[in-house]
Parts: sequence; structure tokens; C-alpha cells
Amino acid sequence: MDFFQGIINQAVSGGVSEETIVLFLLLPLVASVVAAARHLIGFRGFGILIPTAIALVFVATGITIGFLLFLIILLVATLTRSLLQRLRIHYLPRMALVLWFVSMFMLLFIFVSPFLGIGQISGVSILPILILVLLAEEFVTVQLGKSLREAARMTIETLIIALIGYFIFNFSLLRRLALERPEWIIFTPAVFNLLLGRFTGLRLLEFRRFRRLFR
Amino acid sequence: MFPKGSNQILGMNARNQIFLRLNARAGRRIADSKILTKRVLTKNGLPTPGLLKVFRNVRDIFEFDWITLPDNFVLKPVSGYGGGGIIIVKKKAKWAGQWRLMDESIIDVSSLRHQALDILAGQYSLHNLPDWAMIEERVKISKVFRKFTYQGTPDIRVIVFNKVPVMAMLRLPTAASHGKANLHQGAIGVGIDMATGITTYGIWQGKFLKYIPGTKRKINGLKLPRWTEILTLAVKAQEAVPSLGYVGVDIVFDKEHGPVILELNCRPGLEIQNANSSPLRKRLERVSGLDVVSADHGVRIAKTLFAERFADRVMAEEGIKTIGVWEEVKIRLSQDEKVPVRAKIDTGAWKSSIDKDLAREMGLLKASNVLWTKTYKGSLGQEKRQVINLCFYLAGRKIETIASVANREKLRTPLIIGRRDLEGFIIKPGRI
Repeated sequence: MDFFQGIINQAVSGGVSEETIVLFLLLPLVASVVAAARHLIGFRGFGILIPTAIALVFVATGITIGFLLFLIILLVATLTRSLLQRLRIHYLPRMALVLWFVSMFMLLFIFVSPFLGIGQISGVSILPILILVLLAEEFVTVQLGKSLREAARMTIETLIIALIGYFIFNFSLLRRLALERPEWIIFTPAVFNLLLGRFTGLRLLEFRRFRRLFR
Repeated sequence: MFPKGSNQILGMNARNQIFLRLNARAGRRIADSKILTKRVLTKNGLPTPGLLKVFRNVRDIFEFDWITLPDNFVLKPVSGYGGGGIIIVKKKAKWAGQWRLMDESIIDVSSLRHQALDILAGQYSLHNLPDWAMIEERVKISKVFRKFTYQGTPDIRVIVFNKVPVMAMLRLPTAASHGKANLHQGAIGVGIDMATGITTYGIWQGKFLKYIPGTKRKINGLKLPRWTEILTLAVKAQEAVPSLGYVGVDIVFDKEHGPVILELNCRPGLEIQNANSSPLRKRLERVSGLDVVSADHGVRIAKTLFAERFADRVMAEEGIKTIGVWEEVKIRLSQDEKVPVRAKIDTGAWKSSIDKDLAREMGLLKASNVLWTKTYKGSLGQEKRQVINLCFYLAGRKIETIASVANREKLRTPLIIGRRDLEGFIIKPGRI
């Protein structure tokens, strides 16, 4: 199967960055991990978009900065949501206001960060930060109608999956595999997901949930 | 590798892969819209709470004369889920255009209108799609359920598969659930024995309950009224929407109308297994492929297959009870004084008869308790006997009767119980 490798080598020599190719090849793998976390482990999570997007943001910004940004944005979004809950305004204007708060806060943070000694933040490209800001809406929507405990649980589960995704994106062995034997990275997720899609057994966390039913 | 019995439990994967697949698009469309559900059920002659108003657009909301609403009603999203966005109005407050909610707080027209607008904007619908709002009559809670109610109406969830009600639970709203009957919101789930309608176990936020929180009332042993009717109604709801193969039917018990179908759920949750301490997949597999000819048939199958162990005993209690020839009864002397006495069940005698000495000892022969004296012709010749009031418990049943007083000193028991007091019993002549 030198076919895929040939294409990749050609592309690289043609000027496509290796990083782009690696990220594209590993993306389905990360998505499969998200799917497995749902169907094999039983994490509820936020669908595929949010964990994968966060993992990519972590890759782009570095783990410490990314984590910090994530926490700040989540905190501001949650706080403003509960603040705005008391104001009786329509849903979309309310969401827009949440984003207003988050954006303002982020801007403030970027202005202030050089004085706090975390100057790297201003060097971070703006796109990942914007993605995180936009994810704030998803977070708040999912939190609606759920108890605080449930929301916290979902957030933690999402973070865990995002971190796993981040490590996959950065795992040097996988990165090398993606460039040298791309067929593995291409077909494994496909086969895995076809099988996973038909799995009807209990999820890992369900063994705990229904432990009283084992007699 | 896996614990025993894990293939009998219905997990999320199996539910979605195998059972939700049985719910065709047409059926899901009906179940996801409370108005469509109501229309289909009504057409099939099944009871649902009355519909007062539907808001299809913003203009409807502003043109509606809210003052004309009755004392109590419910404002809810047509395509809501998990009990979100529902406002339950209990009664009119002092001024026109104000009402009281279940927790006694006051709501006015402008708040209701605002809620209706939020609903229309899709705040409470699946995927936040634009929705309609509706106003429905409020179901008035039947007395039996009142003692289990904190805020909001308890309902009964019955899962129906292949026209057989496979599992049921009573859902009790709590303070934590804000009056909603959804387990994920913090309501209590109580398992119900399919055969008798008696509650079994309670579960609340993943923990097992013996008592209703904050009270000393036991959660098990409550007998739901008109259980067979409730189950039959649930099956008929599935018959009305045949494109739903696996459906949760939510039934509330109205004070005046009896069981009423509140809504259909085409993705019923799995926590019902914990509430019943019983795995669902096993039950579903047992019912799968059966040829069920009618709702009554389905209910009979469920009662036979899914009875709890205590069901036999309880069902017997409802009708006829079996006793032996020799039974220990408890004679009631006063409110809290009961004396155990050995008795012979004697179908040859009409009236029960008690030994003179024993009766005297118990103080049953005082003048106020003696009804009359009569000359008796018995197997021992003629004699005068007193007839007294007697109250005793036989096999847990209270029997208030009269008994004649005789000298039974030389006989095996100081008490015989005659035919007069044996209504509703079967006597097993051998040893039991």
C-alpha cells in the first residue's frame, strides 16, 4: 500500500505542510475516540463537535494556555447565563449577551495578560480563541434544563475526551504512522466505527448504574 | 468476563439500536407533538386532558384573552421534552389576571405571555427549533396520590412493547424536580408490580429509598387504584399509534375522570429498571414475537409473566382466602388488646361458639355484651345458651359477629367458627 504514502510524499514536496496532513488524518481517529467514549464507556459528553474542537484548540494553543482559556470562557459563560436568567429576555438576545460578556472578558484578558506575566496569550492566533468563545453557546444550551451536577459531570467528561484527543494529535508514534503508513490511520477508524455502530451491549458506566440488577 | 445477567439489562446501546428502531418516523412525529398525540388518542376514544388553546404564532399570544382562562390550567410547549418549560397554575389569585402556582407564588398575564413567547422561540423544544405553545386543563390529583405529592402531579409511566405492558413506575415530583415528574430532573421513581399495581422499590437520584424523603411514609406497599384499567389504557394508546413499537405511556389519575393519558414518549428512559430492581431486556425478549390479539390479552400476559413474588398472596387477599381446619384467631377485647385463641373451623355449625369459662375470663359475659339467651338443641341435648357480641381476626381479616356461649371444656378448642362467619374463605381439609 505505497499508494497513499506516495500521494502524501508528493503533496509534501508540493508544499503542503505535514502538520495539515497529520491533523486531517488523525481527526477521524479522535472522532472515533469520542464515539467510543459514548458507546463503550458511557460518557454523555457534548456530541462530537465540542470535544474534537476543543482538542484542536489545545493543539493550536498549547495545553496550558488552552486549558486556561477554556476554564475562563466556561466560567464567564455560566456566570452570565445565571445572571441573565433573572432578566426576562428572549433566548437569542440572551445568547448574544452571553457572547458579549465572553468576548469582552477575553479582550480584557488579552489586554491584561502581558502585565500578569502570561504574555504568550497575545501571541496565540485568534481563531482558536474565537472557536472557544463560540462553543460557549453550545455549553450553555446543553446546560439548560440540567442540574448543576449533571452539567459539571458533562463538562468534566468532555474535558477528559478533549485531553485524550489532544494527546492523540500530539502522539509522535501516531503522527509518524500517519505519514509513513497512512492506510492504517485511514481505515482503522472506518472499520472500528462500523463495528461500534452495531454494538448493543452495556456501556462500562452502565454496569455501575445498574449494579443492583445483577443478582 | 461480564457479570452474570448483563445481557438481560437494557442499556442505552441496545435501546437505541434495537428497540427505538421499532418507532417509525410517523409515530415519533405523533409522540413528539403533544397536540398530535391528543388528536390521535381522542380519535380513538381514549381520554386525555382537555385542550383549551394552542398558540401557533406570536399574534395568537397577543390576541388571546388570558382573563377568560379557568381557575387552573397548564401552559406547556407542544414539543417539549423532559418536562421543560411547563407552568402549572393551581388557582385564581385575588385579582383578575393573576393566578397562583403549585408553590403558592403568584403569576400574572405578562409572565405567562412571556413564557409562551419563549416556548414559541424554541427554548424548550428538542434542538431549540421553533415550537407551538398550548394550554391544557390541569389534571386534579386523585386522593390516593395526594399523600405522595409534594408539588406537581405524580404520573404513571408504563412501557408498552408488542401490545404488552412490560414495566411500569410511579413518578413522584419533588422539590428538587420543581414539580416535574422527570427522573433526571430529580423526581422519585417507584417500581410497580405488574400483577397487582402495588409499589415495590423507590429510587431517587440514583439512591434507593425506603421512605418518601422528609416523611415516615413507606414507599412500598401502596396499591394504585384501578390498575388493570391503567394498563389496558396504556396498551390501547399503543394500539392507537401502531407505528410506535416501543413506547412509554404517561398516565395521570384524575380525581373525576380516572386514568387519563398525558403523553406518549418514544424514547423512554432506562432508570425504570432500577426503580423496579428488574432488568427490562429480559422482559422485552419474553414478549417479543407473541401474537397479542387485544389490549386485555396483553394485560393478562403482563400480569402472568411479570408478577412479583408477593403477587399471588396479594391477589388471593383481594378475593378468596384459603384457611385450614385449625386456625389461631385473635379475639379483640378492646382497641389494643387482642388475645390469641385456637379455633376449629366448623362448617357443620351455623353460628360460632365460644367456651363459657374463656368468655368469662375475657369479660365477654358482662351484661352489656350479652345479646339474648336462647334454648338450644344441639348434639348434647337441650340447654340454655347466651349469645354475645364477638369480634375476632381470622387470617388477617376482621370479623364482627355474634357467638353462642357453651361449655366446651372437654373439647379440643375453646372456639369453633361456624359458616356464618366464613364468607370469603375456602377451607382446606388436610394439613396446611
